[in-house]
Amino acid sequence: MSDEFERQSAPAVELRNIDKSFYGVLANADVDFTLARGEVHALLGENGAGKSTLCSVIAGLYRPDSGEMLLDGAPLVCKSPKDAIAAGIGMVYQHFRLVSNLTVAENLALGNPEIGLRLSQRELEDQARELGERYDFPVEPSARIWQLSVGQQQRVEILKLLYRDARILILDEPTAVLTPQEGEALFRTMRILAEEGRSLIFVSHKLHEVKQVSDRVTVLREGKVVGHAETADAEPRDLARMMVGKDLVLPTRVPNESIGDPTLVVEDLVVEDDRGLDAVNGLSITVNAGEVVGIAGVSGNGQRELAQGIVGLMKVKSGTVHLAGDDVTRKNVLDKIRLGIAYVPQSRLGMGLSPGLTTEDNLALKQFREPPYSSGPLLSNKTFASRGAELIDEFDIRGVRPGLPIRLLSGGNLQKALIAREVIQDHTVLIARSPTRGLDVGATAAVRDQVLAERDRGVAVLLISEDLDELLALSDRLLVIYEGEIVGEMPAAEATAERLGLLMSGHREEQSA
Amino acid sequence: MNESVLMLTIVAAIGLGTPIVFATVGEILTERSGILNLGVQGMMMIGAVMGFWATFETGSLWLGVLAALIAGAALSLIHAFNSVTLRVSQIVSGLALTIFGTGVAIFIGRAGSEPLIGTPSREVFEPILPEALADLPLVGPLVFGHDALIYLSWIIVATSSYYLFRTRPGLTLRAVGEDPASAEAAGIHVSRVRYIHVMVGGALAGLGGAYFSLALVPSWQDHPIGPAGWIAIALVILASWRPWRALWVAYLFGAAGRVSFTFQTLEVNVPADLLAMLPYVLAIVAMLILASGKRARLLGAPAALGIPYFREER
Amino acid sequence: MTRRLIIEPRGLATWWLKLLIPIASVIAALVLGAVFLSITGNDWLEVYKKMADAAFGSGRGFAETLVSATPLILTGVAAAIAFKMLVWNIGGEGQLIAGAVAAAGVGIWLADGTPAVIAITAVVAAGAVGGAFWAALSAVPRVYLGTNEIITTLMLNFIALHLMQYLVFGSSSPWRDPDATQFPQGRPIIDNGRIPEFFHRLDWGLFIAIAVAIAAWFVISKTRSGFEYRIVGDSFDAARYAGIKVPRKVLGTFLASGAAAGLAGSILVAGILGKMDPRSLDLGLGFTGIIVAALARLNPIAIIPVAILMGALNNAGPALQSIGVPSAVVMILQGAILIFAVGGEFLISNRIRRPERHVEETTAAAEVSPA
Repeated sequence: MSDEFERQSAPAVELRNIDKSFYGVLANADVDFTLARGEVHALLGENGAGKSTLCSVIAGLYRPDSGEMLLDGAPLVCKSPKDAIAAGIGMVYQHFRLVSNLTVAENLALGNPEIGLRLSQRELEDQARELGERYDFPVEPSARIWQLSVGQQQRVEILKLLYRDARILILDEPTAVLTPQEGEALFRTMRILAEEGRSLIFVSHKLHEVKQVSDRVTVLREGKVVGHAETADAEPRDLARMMVGKDLVLPTRVPNESIGDPTLVVEDLVVEDDRGLDAVNGLSITVNAGEVVGIAGVSGNGQRELAQGIVGLMKVKSGTVHLAGDDVTRKNVLDKIRLGIAYVPQSRLGMGLSPGLTTEDNLALKQFREPPYSSGPLLSNKTFASRGAELIDEFDIRGVRPGLPIRLLSGGNLQKALIAREVIQDHTVLIARSPTRGLDVGATAAVRDQVLAERDRGVAVLLISEDLDELLALSDRLLVIYEGEIVGEMPAAEATAERLGLLMSGHREEQSA
Repeated sequence: MNESVLMLTIVAAIGLGTPIVFATVGEILTERSGILNLGVQGMMMIGAVMGFWATFETGSLWLGVLAALIAGAALSLIHAFNSVTLRVSQIVSGLALTIFGTGVAIFIGRAGSEPLIGTPSREVFEPILPEALADLPLVGPLVFGHDALIYLSWIIVATSSYYLFRTRPGLTLRAVGEDPASAEAAGIHVSRVRYIHVMVGGALAGLGGAYFSLALVPSWQDHPIGPAGWIAIALVILASWRPWRALWVAYLFGAAGRVSFTFQTLEVNVPADLLAMLPYVLAIVAMLILASGKRARLLGAPAALGIPYFREER
Repeated sequence: MTRRLIIEPRGLATWWLKLLIPIASVIAALVLGAVFLSITGNDWLEVYKKMADAAFGSGRGFAETLVSATPLILTGVAAAIAFKMLVWNIGGEGQLIAGAVAAAGVGIWLADGTPAVIAITAVVAAGAVGGAFWAALSAVPRVYLGTNEIITTLMLNFIALHLMQYLVFGSSSPWRDPDATQFPQGRPIIDNGRIPEFFHRLDWGLFIAIAVAIAAWFVISKTRSGFEYRIVGDSFDAARYAGIKVPRKVLGTFLASGAAAGLAGSILVAGILGKMDPRSLDLGLGFTGIIVAALARLNPIAIIPVAILMGALNNAGPALQSIGVPSAVVMILQGAILIFAVGGEFLISNRIRRPERHVEETTAAAEVSPA
C-alpha cells in the first residue's frame, strides 16, 4: 500500500545529478530536475545551455555519463529511446524524426509493438485519422511526410506520441518552426494534454512563450540548473538574468542615417528548387549601400533558393540580379565572389566551411587562388599559416590547434571564422542566412556587431532569417517572403512580431485589412 | 526462333539465374537496412566451398545447404561489425570480404593431402517432382522440372517481398534504411536491424554459392561461381530493391549468360568472348537508362544506403 | 548509474598511431593466417619463412618483389586519388587492361626503327590514355548523369577482360601473334618500345611508378589545383560555395585515376611482358591496388612501401606451391590485412575513454525571488 502511495505522490520524472559530455565538453553538469504530473514545465535557457541534451537524456537517445533518472519514483535506465517510449516518454525533436519517404500512417506505426506482425495500410490509416480527429489535428494519413508543411509535420510528431499514449511529452523548441499564430494553436493543444493528466516539458529560449504556456520553469545555463520557479511568480527580468548570467542589455540599435545607392537589385527572380518547382517566384528586392534588409519567413518559403540564386549556387530560371548597375545574373559563383558578393550560408559546416580541413585552410577557402596565398600553380603554405594566425587572433577564434579539422570548433567559433573570411575580402554585398542561429549569447552579440559594422562600412546587407528577434534587432527595412514571393514590406520601426507573423503565414495585408 | 531452343534457353536461364536470385535478394535485404555489402562474391565463394565440403563429408545435400548458409552469414558478420559497430568505409570493407572469402574458398579447396579440387560432388540437387509432371508440354519444364532449391528460391522471393512491404518488421527495415535517426527515435534498435539483415544477406549469398557447387557445376574448382556475386550487386539496382523484380532480372541475366550456347545451337556465329560481355553491357546500359542520378532514388534506393549512422552525433 | 566506456570522434590522430595501425593490421593478418594454416595442418612458421625467403631472401628475389610492386604502386595511386575524393573507382582492373591494350596496340603499330625514346614514350603514354578512356566510360555518366560508378567500373572490368581475351584468343586481331602456332599469344611490341632492364628483370618502369606516386603527393599538397581537390574531397557543397567547378574536378580526378591504372598496364607491356599477355594481366592487380591504397591510408608516398609489401606477398605465392601449400594463402593474407586495416580506421578516427565524474562545484542554484 505504501508503495502505491509513494508512486502516486512521486513526480512523473525526477533527474538526479545528470552529467553528459561530448568530446570532453560538458553539455549537462550535475543537473537535478523534477517534472510533476499534469504540468507544463518550461526548460528555459540560451542556445547551448544544454536543454536539448537534457531532453535527449530523458528521451533515452543519449545515455548520461553519470546520474540517475526516476520515473514515478522508481529508477529507470533507458538504454535507447525504445525503453523510454515503453515507459511512456516521448519527444518531439527540433529536427523532426519522421521518415520522409513513408506515409503519415506508416510513421505512426513505426516501432509500435502493439501493431501485429502483419501491416494493413487501411487499418493504420483509419486509426491515424481517428486519432487526428480526437485531438483536432487533421492530417491526411496516406500522405507522405515530404508532402506536408512543417507545421503539419509537427502535428504528426505529436500524434506519434499520442498514438503510443505517451504520458510524458517533451517538445524541443517546438515554436521555432511555426508562425506566431501556429504557435498559439500549439499552446492550446498543450494545455488540453496537460489537463488530460499528461506531463509536458516545453523547451524554449523565449521568455514570453514560457510565461504564456508553462506552470513551472527551470532555467539552464552552461549545462547547469541555475534556477527554478512557479511561472506565475517569476518576474521575466529575473528569468532573463538567470538565463544569461547577467543583466540583460536590450540591444540598442543605432539606425543608419546614411543609406546610399541601390547596390543589389533583384528583379522578377525565379529559381527552381531541387524538385523543379518555382521556389522563388518572381521576386524583386533592392538593397542599398549601408542598409540591412531583413527577409522574414517560415523556413521553406524559398529563402534557400533566393540566397543561392543570387550567389550563383542555383540556376536562375528567369529575372535578373544587378550589382551596382551591372547585370550579374548569369555569372558563376567564382565570378560573383570576385565581384564582391559575400555570403554567409545557413549551413556552416559542409557549405560555408569545409569540415575536414583546418581553420587556416578554411580561412583561405575563397582567396587561395590569388597572391599571396598562391603564386602561379603553387600554394604558399607559409601564407596560409601566417594569414590564418592573424585572422584567428583578430576575430578571436578559439580552440584552434595545428592540424585540427575545423568541425571540432564550437558553433560560435565556426561562425566567427566563417564571417571573418567573408568580410576580409573585397565586397559590396553581404548575404547572411540566420547568422546567429544556435549561438550562445556572447557569440550572438559578436556576430550582430559584425553585421552592423558591415552596414556602417557601406555594405549592402541582405539578412534572411526565420528568427524574428534577430531580424528586428538588425534590420533597417523588413520584407516578408511567403511561397517565394514578397508579401509585405515595412520599415523596421513599424514592424511587430504579430504583423510579421500574419504575413509569414500568408495573410496579405490587403485581405486582412 | 525454334521453339525447343527457346524453351531450353528459358529453362537454362532459370537454372543459371537461381544462384543470382539468392544473392540478389540477400543483398536487397542488406541494402534496405542501409548497409552496402560489396562482399557478395566472397560470401558466395565461401558458401560454395563449405556447402560442397559439408555434402562431401556427410553425404547430405541439406547439411551442405545449412553449412553454406552459416558460412555466408559468418563472413558477413565481419562486414556488419566493420560497418555498423566501427562505422568504417562500407565499400572497402566489402571488397576486403570478397578478397578474403575468395582466398579462403580456394585455399580450402586445395588444402590437405586429398584436396577437394577436381572431385565431383557426392550428391547433386535433382528435379524433385514426378517425371510425369515435368513431361507436360510447356508448363512441365518451366514449372515442374526443377530441383528443390529453385522452388526454395521462389518461396524466398515471395516471402521477402511480403516481409518488406506487408509486415511490421519490414516497415522497420525500410525505415532504418531510409532514416536511421528517425527510426531510432521511434524506438527501433538500428544496429540490431542492420546486423540481422547483413547476416541474412550473407546467408542467402552463401546459399547462392552452394547452388553452383551442388547443382549447377557439381564438382569443385577454384572459381566455381564466375562473377555471379558482382552481377548480383548490379542487379539490386536494376531490380530497384524489390525481390520480385530481382527474380525476373536474374533470369534475364541467366539467359544472357546462356546466349552463346543458344547462338551455337542456332548456328549463328558470334565470337564467344564478345557474347560474354553481353550481361555486363546490358547492366551498364540499364543503369544509364533506369538508375541515373535522382531516378535511383525514385526507384527505391534507401536514402541512408552506405552512410554510417552515428547515434550521439552533434 | 552505469559507467561505460565512452567512444568519441577524435580530431587529431598522432603520427605514430597512423603508422601503428597499418603495421598492426599486417601483424594481425599474419596471426590470423597462422591460425588458419595450423588448423589446416600446415607448419605456419615454415610457410612464413618460405615466403620471406622468396620475397626478400636474395637479390633476385627482392628484384622480383619490386617487379611485382611496380604495377601495384600505380594501381594503388589510382585507387587512392579516387577514393580520397569519394569517387569509388573499383575499375583499376579494367583500366589496367585497357592501358595494356592501348600500349600494345601502339607498340605493335610503330615502325621497327622508331627511336627508343620516342617509342617508349609513345607506348607508355598510350597506356595512360587507354586507362583514362576506360575510366571515362564510368566517369562521364557519373558526373553528368549521376550514375553509380561502383557498378559501372566493376562491369567494365569484365568487359575489358573479355575484350582482351577476344583480341588474342578469339580473333585474328593485330594484337595476336601470327607466329604462335601452338597456343594463341599476344604479338610482341617492337624492341625499341621496351623499357630497358637494369637488374634481373627489373626495369626502369619502377622509377616511373615511384615518380607518379611522388607527383601525386606533390600536386595534392603543394599546388592550387591540389587544394581545390582537397576541398572537393572533403565537401562538395563547400567546394561549390568556394567557386570550384566540382563536376570538372571530379571528372579530372576520375580520369587521372584511370590513367594511373592504365600506366600500370603499359609498363607491364613495355616492361617484363613485352606483349599483351592476357594470362599475366588478369591477376587482380587492380583490386590489390585498393588494398595498397587502404593500407597506405590513401597517402601517395606511403603507397610505395606498402606496394612493395604487397608485391612481396604476390611474389611469395608461387614459392609456396613447392612445399605443397596453396598459394591462395596470399589472398587470405591480403584480404585479412584489408579487413584489419579498414577496421583500424576506427581507432584512428575515434578514441575510447573512461567517463570522468566532474567534481567541480556547480554554482548554487538560485531561487527566483517571488514577485
